[in-house]
Amino acid sequence: MNKIVMRKVVILLFLMLLSSNSFAQEKSGFGNVEAGKKIYTKRCIFCHGEQGGGDGPAAERFNPRPRDFTMGLFKYRTTPNGMIPTDDDLFKVVTKGLPGTGMPSWESILSSQERRDVIAYVKTFTKKFERQKEALPVIEVGKEIASSDESIEKGRALFKSLECFKCHGNEGRGNGPSALTLTDDKGDPIRPRNLTLNWHFRGGGEAKDIYMRVNTGLNGTPMPSFKDSLDNEKSWHLANFVRSLSPSSRPEINGVIKSKKVLGNIPADPSDPFWQDAGAGGGAEYWFPMVGQVIREPRHFTPTVRDIFVKSVYSDKEIAFLLRWNDPSESKDGEPLPVVGGEGDEDLFEGATSAGGEEKPVATALDDAVAIQFPSHALEGLRKPYFLMGDEKNGVNLWTWKAGRLQESNANGIDKEVVQGSANQALSGGGGYHEGQYKVVIKRSLMTADQEKDMQFEAGKFVPIAFYAWDGHNAESNTKRSISHWYFLLLEPPIPRDVYVKPPLVAFGVFGCLLLLQRKLRKNHGKL
Amino acid sequence: MRIPLIGKVAIIWVSLYLALKFLVSPSLPSSVIFMYMSLITVCILLFVSVFPEDAEAFFGPIKRFIAGDQTDSAVRKLGRVAMFAIIPLFFGHRSYQANMPSYEPPLEQRIVHPAPPTEFTGMYNPYREDHEHFAENVKRGGEVFYRNCVFCHGDKLDGTGIFAEGFNLRPANFQENGVINMLQESYLFWRISKGGIGLPEESTPWNSAMPRWEAILPEEDRWKAILFLYDYTGYKPRTWE
Ligand code: HEC
Ligand code: HEC
Ligand code: HEC
Repeated sequence: MNKIVMRKVVILLFLMLLSSNSFAQEKSGFGNVEAGKKIYTKRCIFCHGEQGGGDGPAAERFNPRPRDFTMGLFKYRTTPNGMIPTDDDLFKVVTKGLPGTGMPSWESILSSQERRDVIAYVKTFTKKFERQKEALPVIEVGKEIASSDESIEKGRALFKSLECFKCHGNEGRGNGPSALTLTDDKGDPIRPRNLTLNWHFRGGGEAKDIYMRVNTGLNGTPMPSFKDSLDNEKSWHLANFVRSLSPSSRPEINGVIKSKKVLGNIPADPSDPFWQDAGAGGGAEYWFPMVGQVIREPRHFTPTVRDIFVKSVYSDKEIAFLLRWNDPSESKDGEPLPVVGGEGDEDLFEGATSAGGEEKPVATALDDAVAIQFPSHALEGLRKPYFLMGDEKNGVNLWTWKAGRLQESNANGIDKEVVQGSANQALSGGGGYHEGQYKVVIKRSLMTADQEKDMQFEAGKFVPIAFYAWDGHNAESNTKRSISHWYFLLLEPPIPRDVYVKPPLVAFGVFGCLLLLQRKLRKNHGKL
Repeated sequence: MRIPLIGKVAIIWVSLYLALKFLVSPSLPSSVIFMYMSLITVCILLFVSVFPEDAEAFFGPIKRFIAGDQTDSAVRKLGRVAMFAIIPLFFGHRSYQANMPSYEPPLEQRIVHPAPPTEFTGMYNPYREDHEHFAENVKRGGEVFYRNCVFCHGDKLDGTGIFAEGFNLRPANFQENGVINMLQESYLFWRISKGGIGLPEESTPWNSAMPRWEAILPEEDRWKAILFLYDYTGYKPRTWE
């Protein structure tokens, strides 16, 4: 081979290398596809699937399911409805994750270059990115209008006129009339977000994030874009209103529920003014996260109830709990389920079965329910019963409210629950469902005759307490439920009288001594 | 310039207080500091009262300040009023603290890595040496993990799954140095097979949400999940030295 041919071959090879490289670069714009593929294969296939179809081995256990990248529909964007996201949008999702879904934040494990690379690869699953030649239009968040009563009121009006309530409910708890029938573009049932718990928002819970969401809509879901009906001002009013539905900051776990002593009777009706009155039942409300029961078969991976709010007070005779939790539907055993995805849909009862995946279809709803768990009797030392329904040796005492009926039981394991005899049933209470939310009061006398099976309550003692919740529309019953861990309940003893008497006495005493000293010193002035 | 005795005493008192408060580690509870400071105060008082001229140098200015007189500046007068308010309030507050009952939940301590039962020592991962099918077995382990463990131990194996917050013994973080690289595969096999409830009493089994996987997963899958944990994190299991 002569030198010139050699040189040509080398140049050709070089050019080929260059072009293949630049091809990869061109496709991604900002990351390396080959490097991205390796990362994807190691970290993303179990959910998003080898071919990006959102059908990895774990996919069916998540709700919402992992995104099917081949459809090219992305939810959290800054681009107008129906458009693909910008690289920055994807970068933000992969960096920060989508709270409350299986999609985590990858910041701690992937460098920013690696995140760019994997995004470059994700973009190859659909032709949409390649086809997009022009620069993408991006929606800008305009000049801020600070939240105020006036702005919130205007936002409330827009929430009505734009019919957000049809999906999100009158009070925003994701319980609108069409809430239970919605499906996404893949035909999977999808629930409108509960707008009163903004820490579960995927795209961020602050007003500027909400502003963006209502303008972009969520591709592939029933959540539309309202861009055509909104301008900058209206967007801010609407966002300020939606933001005002949630607490000002995410609640934190406080491990001890303090039950306050009150005088007289404790009303069983949660709407009684007693529960608002700061001097009575209007005290601190505690928040606890609820999670799926994924410990004992049959497990439950996609629970409805993820939060429970608890208040407690006690009197000379009784202890009472006010439980508050959100559920997009009131369900009772035997009621027919709403048709998901409209009439004539083959997967008529998907809504009920998607939860567990492996269960056989259920055509009717089950009872919604909630339960409080205590040990069956006071602790000996630190040994608690197993947090999930007790164990062989250490039983638990359960107070269950089930679609309006109250029931006391004991359990020595999740499959060993025994309802107490009718003579022992001592619970009373009340409450019910309103606009996507349950408020239920459960009461019992502090002491009962059955000291073996009933927790006895004494002021000043720490009692372990845990919670369960069931959503009948989500095929939840028995082991399929939301659970919490053990926390503590403390019946705060009334403050001893000494606290109000002694400190003033001491202060006056010291003050008197000082005065006496001063007088004495002044008398002896000459000697100073 | 000579510092008057009372100034010296003040400097010593304040620096001892600061030393106790900020230099001692682990930091002392405020009740202990209060005790030491009372002791120091008594010592100082004893020390300055031994010689009459010291006593005069120390107590004189204090006495004159408390007694006060017409020629006092406004600042001194204000200081006196403040002193008459602050000292009684201080003692009143201490009495309030002493009388107000406080309740602390019982503290639970646990042994994180107890000794495994003898039947779980000295086992080997049957798939560790199967080099031919290694990648396949790791992948199967990954499937097991993402279908079962991910909810608690998290997508990144760092203990931050979507349900992790619900448990107050938090799921183990396998990315953390000092966890699986300090444990043998047989130990992990025990923990995975028997779960939280299989722990001895000193490890508070009643608080652990870790499921007893022998009731759910075949033995094969449990070993492959272990293979995956090491492969994903890049750690090596501890071996029998
Ligand atoms: C444990 C499962 C899981 C893993 C692992 C996972 N994801 Fe996701 N991912 C999800 C789920 C679930 C969603 C859908 C969330 C939703 O619809 O709200 C999602 C959505 C996405 C989206 C779409 C965002 C949008 O705006 O629509 C992107 C992009 C994405 N994932 C990228 C990745 C990448 C890259 C990796 C690997 C580094 C990865 N995911 C790993 C579960 C996972
Ligand atoms: C046709 C039903 C429908 C209507 C009408 C609707 N939404 Fe939604 N919305 C949804 C669904 C469904 C979701 C959840 C999508 C998902 O989980 O992927 C959602 C999600 C949201 C989110 C959560 C975004 C995030 O980051 O998690 C906000 C905020 C929101 N909607 C606000 C509104 C407002 C404000 C309006 C009225 C202007 C409105 N929606 C109208 C169905 C609707
Ligand atoms: C319901 C939540 C939950 C699930 C699901 C779960 N774990 Fe755990 N796991 C925990 C908790 C909590 C701990 C820490 C307490 C303990 O050591 O028992 C733990 C501890 C462990 C440990 C012990 C680590 C150590 O330092 O001793 C191993 C190993 C482990 N898990 C493996 C797994 C594997 C493998 C799976 C899936 C097959 C799994 N876990 C599923 C909650 C869970």
